[in-house]
Amino acid sequence: MLLSVDDIYVHYGRVPAVRGVSIEVAEGEIVCVVGPNGAGKSSTLLTISGVLRPSRGAINFDGKSIVGLTPEAVARRGVSQVPEGRHVFTTLSVEENLRLGTRMRSDRGEIETDFKRVLELFPVLAERRRGAAGKLSGGEQQMLVIGRALLTNPRIMTIDEPSLGLAPNLVDRVYEVLLELRETRGLTLLIVEQSSERALKAADRIYVLRSGEIQLEGNAADLQDGEKVRHAYFGFTEGVEHTGEATF
Amino acid sequence: MEVVVQTIISSLSLGSFYALGALGIGLLFGVLRLINFAHGDFITVGGFSLIVPATAVVAVPLILDFHPVALIICVVGVVVVWALASYFLLFRHIQTAPPAVLMIASVALSFSIQNLVIMIYSGRPKAVGLWPELTGVIALSDKVQVPILQLVIVAVTWILLILLTIFLRRTPIGVEMRAAAEDFRMARMLGVNATRVIALAFVISGALAGIMALMYHTQTGILSFRGGVFLMLYAFIATVIGGMGSLIGAVVGGYVVGIFSTVLIAVLPEGMRGFRDAFVFGLVVVILLARPQGLVPTRAFKERV
Repeated sequence: MLLSVDDIYVHYGRVPAVRGVSIEVAEGEIVCVVGPNGAGKSSTLLTISGVLRPSRGAINFDGKSIVGLTPEAVARRGVSQVPEGRHVFTTLSVEENLRLGTRMRSDRGEIETDFKRVLELFPVLAERRRGAAGKLSGGEQQMLVIGRALLTNPRIMTIDEPSLGLAPNLVDRVYEVLLELRETRGLTLLIVEQSSERALKAADRIYVLRSGEIQLEGNAADLQDGEKVRHAYFGFTEGVEHTGEATF
Repeated sequence: MEVVVQTIISSLSLGSFYALGALGIGLLFGVLRLINFAHGDFITVGGFSLIVPATAVVAVPLILDFHPVALIICVVGVVVVWALASYFLLFRHIQTAPPAVLMIASVALSFSIQNLVIMIYSGRPKAVGLWPELTGVIALSDKVQVPILQLVIVAVTWILLILLTIFLRRTPIGVEMRAAAEDFRMARMLGVNATRVIALAFVISGALAGIMALMYHTQTGILSFRGGVFLMLYAFIATVIGGMGSLIGAVVGGYVVGIFSTVLIAVLPEGMRGFRDAFVFGLVVVILLARPQGLVPTRAFKERV
């Protein structure tokens, strides 16, 4: 396993946000974590990237523990996070934003090749190269943060809600690019999504997260009819709500 | 005519001073959300490093008589060490605390430094003759004479501003610093080393304070344990007027405060001049009522980790 999250608990003060979540991602895989608002999806990703500390549990990347490392140390190991809400540096130019992604690399020659490749992948970024990143549209900003994450030359990229606030055709474009990257570069992806349909289409495997716990996991191919996923996602079927903890 | 020219140069010189102070505060606010009330005391420390530590009334030169280049390096070095020490011994341990906690810690640091200075050097002001050759005047024409030091202050400030701009725009670490000031968490997720960026901000802030210490004490010729406090107050006001977290705003704010104070002295009737500060602070109130975010607003108040 490239990344294995093992039974982690995350608390905000006393409030538990994540309770006993385990997720595994193999090299070259696309794994989607779906779940409603407040399910603990973002908290899980932020814990992997070292922003939050788990109160219990283990996180191993490439066989080594990354619990307790600073966000920059986790990034240096090859885990690149694209957090929710398109964190572009608005006062920096598009190029400065992209170049920040290359700061921890020392392979000068390949950086330039990768840089050109990202500009080819997202031609709009090439056009706006010198302009302020804050002037880009929402879709362009999403392209920028994905391009910037790619330039870190990550072994795994985690993306929090790539479709948030984007028009449907732009969401398609973002996923097209992500799938293309898996094909061409063998990029491993851990994607958090609210939309289970989108996740089922893109992922090899999915996890359904609700109320801080994994409700369901499985191969996307086995879950295509969507019924089980909806059940796990909402915690009820045909209008009848389960009482207490859902069990499967 | 001569009054106008002299007022312009004095106001630019005073504005430069406040701008430099505001920059020193603004840099740390940018990366750490720290409103550093000890910034003025860094200036004080720089001044006292010139003389031999003793409580005697007459100051004995320590590095005061050094060659100017060596003297600049020593004073700036001393202040940078203080700034770095205050980061690694104090602020680093509370850097995830809310900004109010950081600010109060800086107030505590400020009082500690002042009392340390009193303990070592006594509370009495001491005279120092730093670079007396700069205290003369230069004749621009038959009637217009301006103090050399004021021209030096303006020139030094603008050189520093240009250097700082080049650093922030052209060097990779400068770009990292701008990124960290805008969204620290995202910068860290891209591998930007938080400790290195913050420490560097303290180094630059300390270096600015060191250079200010030299210019300020050349001008006043007096060392006092409270020497930098008044400067810090005005620099802080400049930062607020300019817009917390914006470095351009800090410079603009510095010049607004400096120019306004000097012009007030020139135009106020004799009996009102003592109340200049009331007018300056009145201007602060008016600006903040009209533009609560400051003249050059930023997203600086965003949460950080």
